[in-house]
Amino acid sequence: MTGSRLWNSMRPRGRNGYFFIIPYGAFFLAFVAYPLIFSFVLMFNRWNIVTPMEWVGLKNFLRLFSDPLFYKSLRNTMLFLAIHIPLQAVVALGFSLLLHSRVRFRGVFRALYFFPVVVSGVVVTILWQQLYSFDYGILNKLLTIAGLPRIPWLVDPDFAMPSIAVMATWKNVGIYIVLFLVGLQNIPAELYEASQIDGASRRKQFLHITLPMLNPTIMVIVVLSTIGGFSLFIEPFVLTGGGPMQSTLSGMLYIYNQGFYFSHMGYAAALGFAFALIILAVVLIQRKVIETDRTA
Amino acid sequence: MRLLLTISIILTILPSGCSQEQPAGAVSGSTAEITYWPAPNTQEIELAETLVLAWNKLHPEIPVRMQPIPVSQSTEEVLLAAIAGKTTPDVCSNIWPGALHDYTQAGGLVSLDQFSDFDSVVNSRTPRELLATFQSSDSHYYQLPWKTNPVMMFYNARLFREAGVDSIPRTYSEYLAAAKKVTRDIDGDGEIDVWMGERDIRPIWWQRLFDFYPFFIGASGGSTLFRDNEVGFENQAAIDVFAFFQECYTRRYFPKTFFQGGDPFNLEKKATNFAGPWQVAQVQKFAPHIKFGVVPLPVPDSHTGPVYTSGDYKNIAIFSTTRHPREAWEFVKFLVNPGHDLLLLRIANQIPVRGDLLTNQIFSEYFAQNPVMVSFARQVPYTRGMDAVPDLQEIFDAISQEYEACAVYGRKSPAEGIRDAAERTRVIIRWNQ
Repeated sequence: MTGSRLWNSMRPRGRNGYFFIIPYGAFFLAFVAYPLIFSFVLMFNRWNIVTPMEWVGLKNFLRLFSDPLFYKSLRNTMLFLAIHIPLQAVVALGFSLLLHSRVRFRGVFRALYFFPVVVSGVVVTILWQQLYSFDYGILNKLLTIAGLPRIPWLVDPDFAMPSIAVMATWKNVGIYIVLFLVGLQNIPAELYEASQIDGASRRKQFLHITLPMLNPTIMVIVVLSTIGGFSLFIEPFVLTGGGPMQSTLSGMLYIYNQGFYFSHMGYAAALGFAFALIILAVVLIQRKVIETDRTA
Repeated sequence: MRLLLTISIILTILPSGCSQEQPAGAVSGSTAEITYWPAPNTQEIELAETLVLAWNKLHPEIPVRMQPIPVSQSTEEVLLAAIAGKTTPDVCSNIWPGALHDYTQAGGLVSLDQFSDFDSVVNSRTPRELLATFQSSDSHYYQLPWKTNPVMMFYNARLFREAGVDSIPRTYSEYLAAAKKVTRDIDGDGEIDVWMGERDIRPIWWQRLFDFYPFFIGASGGSTLFRDNEVGFENQAAIDVFAFFQECYTRRYFPKTFFQGGDPFNLEKKATNFAGPWQVAQVQKFAPHIKFGVVPLPVPDSHTGPVYTSGDYKNIAIFSTTRHPREAWEFVKFLVNPGHDLLLLRIANQIPVRGDLLTNQIFSEYFAQNPVMVSFARQVPYTRGMDAVPDLQEIFDAISQEYEACAVYGRKSPAEGIRDAAERTRVIIRWNQ
């Protein structure tokens, strides 16, 4: 069959296929492709939305490399990830192991842990603002009742980002519990039975069966948490405005400030591009490390 | 998110720009219809409706169609989107001077001094010295000063009396001395129940419009942030302001906390508040039992002369998309005549930018009925606006970051904070050139 015959024989079905992907195609072109191309053009321009764009070449990138706030926001984001990812993975794994065992009201607990995921981020943040309040927060009230000093959860540069990481973990852990539960349910029961016959303890079963078999899930969770962590915005925007002393200025918040507070669209696009490259590099490194561990 | 908001604003504005709908009172077949955007709050909409109705009766040949500014996070955002979309109205009465540079840079505004009677209109209304602060760097006037909200100090008379504060503090020392008495744990549960004051501690640029900026204008005797387009705040006045707020936080007269559930001044959790006349209506509505007074902001102990402050000015401008500039100017003059300035006071409780508020008979009855507003009227000649410089928001952000580090957290000395804010301001100006 020649190439043109093959093409002709497939054409009607192909056309139907194209028709069905029109909605997604339109969505992709309008909300993914166009913004991507536009932001690529923006990186080399100065634009404040109102006046015409002005070509500035690499000036936005030169500014980026000499901008202390860019490095500060990067460090803050890394600190957030360093606390948030392990905390989230451990807490999610712990709860999923509990929920995977035969406990009463398992369905209720699963729903409860998932509940914060579906609640608006702003609502959760305002709730935690009340918990964390230095003078009137419930947490500090409990501490003072116990005779302990108040903790400056959000009003000390050393505490603010860890506090936000804890809050973000509480908000998102439900979704990772579900992922771990799926991973746990996919582990063949025969492996546990065989190891039991060989006399393996629960601890050894966990270390040598459960964890290795959950490796793909852990990989997914780490990558999703990393991308989610780099998108950290609502929490510092509502809770701290990036303070105290820029200790919670995340990459996204800095891009937002530059783009929409100061109308530096070109510089914001350059920042976005830089963060996209950093996310790509971090995810590639994570994949390398975690996948190496599995094969080791 | 904000981009989507901007797009939605443009979409909201587009139909209004293209609409052929006739407003109430408009004359069909007219060739000079004017579109007017007032601020979207209830009082100003009521005022605008009253004024437009009166205008349309008097001038059926120039019908005015009123549409409140589409609601958004800020008017500036809407107007910038409207300029970008070329859907601006003919006249808008909610122009913030700080954003004027952006509008003029975009060629969005009509120069008002091109009208032959501009001088007589503004000179009869606004003190000359004050008027000069609204002149753009190209020596033209693109805005007519309309109303102002001078930032002053509100105090809770009962909390002061109960704490034993006999005289209202006028200087930093007096304020701190009063704060020592007022800030206290009343019920003995270990928590402070009444604070001397409170400010949002987040480093958000516009928060400085209600603490550092008016206090700096007061301490410097009426200076704004720039002098001849150069940084004008690297001086002792600014250092004194940082030092004052640093004392307020260090001595725990101001909380480092976020209040929820309402304005802490209305809840009587703080004894003083730095705000404009809008606070009067707020207190009267939500806490009518509170007995309060309004005085100028505290100033350094060595200060002499009148106490200046900043005012949240909102001015009137004509957009260059208008096809009827002369008719639009006639409508602008109509908005600011003495009778309509009185309506601005009566309906919106806001202060017209006039030099004769306390001498013109037309206003005397209003001030007799509303004595608390007299303080604001007295303050008008000593109220300053914003410099017409680019990147003002980013400059306020730079100040905000240093204010936070120095005043709120005490990690820098006031002199270091001001030095670093000034240095960063110069970098911002250089970057954005």
